[in-house]
Amino acid sequence: MSAQAKLLTAVVGLVAVGGGLAAYKTRVLSVPFFEGERIEEWLVEAKVSFLATGREVKARLSLPAVAVEKGGGQESGSLGYSYNVENDRGEYTAVWSSQARDEGQALYYRVRFKQGLASGGEPQAATETPKPPDVPKLPGSLGVAAQNIVTRAKSVSADPDSLFVAMFDQINSANSSQEYVLVKRHYEKEGMATPNITMGIDLLGLAGIPARLAYGVNLNEENSGQVPVALLEYYDGAFWKIRNPLEPSKILDGREVFVWHRGGGPLLEVSGGVENSQVTFTVVKDRLPLATLTDLRDSPFLVSTILSLPASERAVFRYIVLIPLGAFVVVLMRNIIGIPTLGTFMPVLLALALLEIKPVQGIVMFSILVGAGLWFRFLLSRMNLLVVPRVAACVVIVTLLMMLMGVISSQLGLSVGIKITLFPMIIIAWTLERMSLIWEEEGKRSALIQVMGSLFVAVCAYYFMKVSQIQYWAFYFPEMLLILLAGILIIGRYTGYRISELIRFKTFSNA
Amino acid sequence: MPEDTVTEGPETEGVEPVGSVVLATDNGHKWWHRWFRTPAELRELGVVGINMRNARFLLPNNPRRLYDLVDNKLRTKALAEAEGMSVAETYGVLRTPHDANIVEKILAGRDAFVIKPTRGSGGKGIMVIDKRSGKNFVKPSGAEVTPADLKNHVSNILAGLYSLGGKRDFALIEYRVQPARLLTALSFQGAPDIRVVMLHGYPVMAMLRASTKESDGRSNLHQGALGIGIDIATGMSVRAIHHGRPLTHHPDLGVHLIGVQLPEWDTILSMAVTCHEMTGLGYLGVDIMMDETKGPLMIEVNARPGLAIQMANGIGLLKRLEPVVEQHRRRPGADLATKIAFSKKHFRAKLPPPRDPS
Repeated sequence: MSAQAKLLTAVVGLVAVGGGLAAYKTRVLSVPFFEGERIEEWLVEAKVSFLATGREVKARLSLPAVAVEKGGGQESGSLGYSYNVENDRGEYTAVWSSQARDEGQALYYRVRFKQGLASGGEPQAATETPKPPDVPKLPGSLGVAAQNIVTRAKSVSADPDSLFVAMFDQINSANSSQEYVLVKRHYEKEGMATPNITMGIDLLGLAGIPARLAYGVNLNEENSGQVPVALLEYYDGAFWKIRNPLEPSKILDGREVFVWHRGGGPLLEVSGGVENSQVTFTVVKDRLPLATLTDLRDSPFLVSTILSLPASERAVFRYIVLIPLGAFVVVLMRNIIGIPTLGTFMPVLLALALLEIKPVQGIVMFSILVGAGLWFRFLLSRMNLLVVPRVAACVVIVTLLMMLMGVISSQLGLSVGIKITLFPMIIIAWTLERMSLIWEEEGKRSALIQVMGSLFVAVCAYYFMKVSQIQYWAFYFPEMLLILLAGILIIGRYTGYRISELIRFKTFSNA
Repeated sequence: MPEDTVTEGPETEGVEPVGSVVLATDNGHKWWHRWFRTPAELRELGVVGINMRNARFLLPNNPRRLYDLVDNKLRTKALAEAEGMSVAETYGVLRTPHDANIVEKILAGRDAFVIKPTRGSGGKGIMVIDKRSGKNFVKPSGAEVTPADLKNHVSNILAGLYSLGGKRDFALIEYRVQPARLLTALSFQGAPDIRVVMLHGYPVMAMLRASTKESDGRSNLHQGALGIGIDIATGMSVRAIHHGRPLTHHPDLGVHLIGVQLPEWDTILSMAVTCHEMTGLGYLGVDIMMDETKGPLMIEVNARPGLAIQMANGIGLLKRLEPVVEQHRRRPGADLATKIAFSKKHFRAKLPPPRDPS
């Protein structure tokens, strides 16, 4: 078979498989092909993990009452565990139990609900009037200080709400009064997980307001495997209300926080001699109706692909499925248009970094870092260092520069929050090394052209990967990547001129 | 624009006397030629683009496994010496950091030499020393190099700074070519080299690369070096370009560039074809330097020769490559002499350039 025929077969095959799977999904499973109207449902997945030590295990996870009662979707995943939901006067608990278990265990519980429908943080009428709280006695001068705080706070506030705000404003403030500092130190020394909240609960108790710990989940997709957010529930005489002690004056926003657990009891209880038990949450915004998603998940793996994974693992693929799209843009830019870049796939990495940092800030930051780094790099080159130590020195300098930028921007009060991860850091160090080599060997002009070309391609790739319809296809129809692959193969056999060559050969004249 | 009205239709080929000052009076000049050429025009001219070079000529004819033969200068030289070809004499190969420390001992008694990485590309990492001045060495530009600088350069080569893919490398010390006076006259510093591009062992195009003040002794065309097209049949220069634009005189030296006859042209051609035979690469470029006393010396073989050569010759490569493909299909086993004869017959420059009397 000639190369041409092989290529043709491969392209037809890829398009047939990719297109066929996509067609099956839309026709038979009625997955909408176009993004269409956003349904936007949140999927919150709780993952309970622990190390079992060979004994009988029982795990109890408190559940959000709203999600269970309102009948949003809920499901649990756990192989070989017996599972049931316990209802104790409106408080729900998932109970898993199993015989002798060993090693790391993971139990999943998923809840789905429409965005903004129910945060679970609404004021809740108390079924019975709570008993006046009993407060641990603080010794000596601490007790006096605490009493003073409460008296003063009470004198300036009209009701439990304003008392709560006044109290936590002081607790969170960096320059609070002597008495606060004294009491705060005491709680910090006790070595509690959340000293500020425990202190708040005790102080509210002293003021005669019952208060208890609650837990919520940030509705933020970026942050997979997040730990529960500690919230505070207090009784205002008629209702139990929930607020975030870090933002005391703000009413809880159902679009940002979902209250998973309230009512004071423990969030998670695991018995049976296990170690390291913890619960983490992953939040995913789903754009498919639940019924469709369930159908998909039960299909053979070729059809279900990444959708059959637990949310925490699926979240990882949110960016990974975009990489082929970026690669496609690079192929287009290099082989059809002919834009020179530093390295072949560096622009894809840069584009991914831009997805995390936002393009304008990202490019400004990248330019400043590369510019400053390059300057240092030339200082280094005067010392005639060997290659590897020189790259290492570059990495150290870039790290310091990043720290400096972070500090300066926060000093200037720029809330841009430079989210520099390891990832852009490597790109920048590598770009520096590569660029300075080209600078020396081929002159500054080609170094600048190549770095500009890379930036341009990265920005193009970024905007391509940013299109939400394209993200939708990549994520819900990963088999379409096979069609993209076919496209790349075809470009691989493109023997025509690059657009840059039309310009390069503009002066071509016959001899 | 008045040029627009002169002629319509396809460009008339090469009717101007090439030696005249106004070289590029294209009759088919269009307004857009200031900015670009259309793909149809380039196709008409037979210009080969990078995609076409790679897909049609490099990939099918140059198997990956053969690349190391030419990417590693030690292997290329060994092959060439086995064929009895003239190459620059090897003074020594530095392989270990210890060798780097005794580099001065190896160089004892040598005043002029070249240090280069065995796996370098594009002329990277090459250091040329012309003479000594006390303890120091002197580059052609007159800059002095201390023994410590020299050691450092060798260490960088060994660490792979200049090698393809940054792999560890060896440093090669060899004879410093004393370029023939005829050629140095065409070049602002630096020695011009001759590049012959071949397909299936048929020489298809040749050029001479001469440096300018702008290119700073280097012979890369995009850095401002001159590309001087050489007639395959006669070895005479027929055309010169600087940044893609034709010219007749060296921009810095003012010497006439057209109509210069290269000496030992037949030797050069047979050296080039031998390089094809010894490496097995189907599409390749051979770089040759002309030494004042030793004649042509093979410097390196390039498995990915660039496309600027067609600008220097004013002829699209495809116009030469296609006949070769056809000829190779008809007579696959042709020998060296037959191939050279074919090239000389078919790739003769259209107008033998008149030698400028000045």
